[in-house]
Amino acid sequence: MSAPRPETPAWLLRPEPGLCACGCVGRRRRGSFLDATLRATTAAVARVLFDDDEASLDLPLQRIDPAVKILAATVLLLAAALVHHVVVLVALSIALLALAAGCGLPAGRLARRVWFTVPAFTALLVVPAMFSFVTTGEVVVPLGSWFGHPVGLTRQGLTAALLLVTRVGACLTVALLLTTTTRWDRLLGGARRLGVPRAIVMVASMAYRYLGTLLETVADLFTARKARTVNPSDATEGRRFVAASAGTLFGASHHLATEVHEAMIARGYTGEPRLLARARVRRVDVVWLLGALLGAASAMGIDRVVLG
Amino acid sequence: MHIPDGYLSPQTCGALGVAMVPLWATAASRVRRVVTRRFVPGLAVAAAFSFLVMMFNIPVPGGTTAHAVGAVLIAVLLGPWAAVIAVSVALAIQALFFGDGGVLSFGANAFNMAFVMPFVGYGVYRLVGGSTPVDARRRALAAGLGGYVGLNVAALAAAVEFGVQPTWFHTADGTPLYAPFHLAQTVPAMAIAHLLVAGVAEFAVTAGVVAYLQRANPALLAINHHAVEAAVEPAGVEGPTWWVRWRWALVGLGVMVLATPIGLLAPGGAFGEDAPGDLDLGRYGLQAVPEGLNRYNGLWSHALLGDYGFGEGQNATVGYLVSAVVGIAVIAVVVVAAVGLLRLLRRRAEPSAVRDEALAG
Repeated sequence: MSAPRPETPAWLLRPEPGLCACGCVGRRRRGSFLDATLRATTAAVARVLFDDDEASLDLPLQRIDPAVKILAATVLLLAAALVHHVVVLVALSIALLALAAGCGLPAGRLARRVWFTVPAFTALLVVPAMFSFVTTGEVVVPLGSWFGHPVGLTRQGLTAALLLVTRVGACLTVALLLTTTTRWDRLLGGARRLGVPRAIVMVASMAYRYLGTLLETVADLFTARKARTVNPSDATEGRRFVAASAGTLFGASHHLATEVHEAMIARGYTGEPRLLARARVRRVDVVWLLGALLGAASAMGIDRVVLG
Repeated sequence: MHIPDGYLSPQTCGALGVAMVPLWATAASRVRRVVTRRFVPGLAVAAAFSFLVMMFNIPVPGGTTAHAVGAVLIAVLLGPWAAVIAVSVALAIQALFFGDGGVLSFGANAFNMAFVMPFVGYGVYRLVGGSTPVDARRRALAAGLGGYVGLNVAALAAAVEFGVQPTWFHTADGTPLYAPFHLAQTVPAMAIAHLLVAGVAEFAVTAGVVAYLQRANPALLAINHHAVEAAVEPAGVEGPTWWVRWRWALVGLGVMVLATPIGLLAPGGAFGEDAPGDLDLGRYGLQAVPEGLNRYNGLWSHALLGDYGFGEGQNATVGYLVSAVVGIAVIAVVVVAAVGLLRLLRRRAEPSAVRDEALAG
């Protein structure tokens, strides 16, 4: 009698989700923690690499002294945070995008990055605030009544929603103009010259440097897991894997810190961090700073004096 | 929980940023004193680790995923002061390079996630973990609870920061200038999201990592647990009895029992618990007590300790104390019976494991 012929198990023959881009094959499970983490990790690596490339270009905004740029950005952020009128915030955003375009930056991509991320989320979040049950005031779009009181969209609610969305957009434009045109090391050098303690600057600088290394470790861990996943695991198993991955990552981080420390000792590190002192403020930097001050003062002047 | 620029007034951001300055200075000085020359590389890699923990997506009940903040995990592994610096640097990188969290609101984000969260969570961890060995299961549970409570208190802090904006910062006609939601809306919204979803993820990551390190790499747990030994029980020596292990929980319960009569001092009645005769009908626009309320009120009239006291209302304080003790005893019996039943069912569901154990034994 011959031995029974081994059969391929049914679960191995089931189509794997994600084999077809259109989703026609297999069962799709929403919210796969593996995919979500891998997407976030890959995006972070791409962002780190790409932003550094863009920040290294030889363009007018990139050439400005980083300390001056931090001061200018702070002044503009304060102006954007203090104005009371939507029109001023919109004008400020347009002026900043025009400045970016004038300096050779891809203003379209910057605008997309600004307006399709945080403000879009803010716009969804702020919808309830337009209604009279959250923001009381003059009902301009009545939707009914509640115990004899009109209910609907209020002028104050609509203004508050627009104000928040445009304010978030303007602030994000300023922050992105600062960070996409300044390399991390120059940014930290500028922060050091503005009084941030040397040790903290060095911690931040090294954290960014080793972020890339650890990002690769995370991507490897999750890619290896995904490559070996034939059948989607249940949530408990997933949580166990994530906890084990984070634990492994902590071990790798600790090992890395020890190696880095030994390498630093070997190169003469005595516990006192030293940073390369460079860059001095040029006339063009002063002009940029004055320009930012003038822009912020104009925004505040129009907001408080012209528009009241 | 990362607050972007524009949601908080510059005054709020400034106040919280100023509050963080002495905390950063103290954290730097305390951590430097402990780790001396390894201060910079150690914290740099811890900051990178903190950033990455926030990227780990974890499956939560309901079929979706969430990510943890990890501040309490870092506090448990490296100490709360190290967590202040590591999480602050991670937040700075997120704000400046990924647009997650604002530049002006960096101080507020650091206050919530780099100060409130690790310290509250670490406090809960120390309280629940007690003096148990570093590899005790209770420590993993304590870390998870610390993560859960720390995250929720940090979320409450963020909710309060949002919720005061429309009251404090508005135009003459009442238009809110920043976040437009009041405390009555921000606190429940943040509480629901964090108690039910984000808190679960934080619990799972924090408890899971500690449990994993207890099994796989206990040396890493020793970094912040110098004074705590691993459990070494000589063969044949029994562990502490149950009442020794649970003594602090019993003390807590005892204090709560003794405190129950405080309720007698409180003026007024609890919302929604009035007897039909005590209802202020005019306040609710009613002419008479609703028929259904009258019909079902007093449906169960065999309570042993009605209104948490004795039949005639005499000795109200003693009645409260007796009610508390009886209530705890009944709940304890139900919980013990349920746990026993679950254990029995699990044992029946794993016959092979039991058989293997019997064979091995």
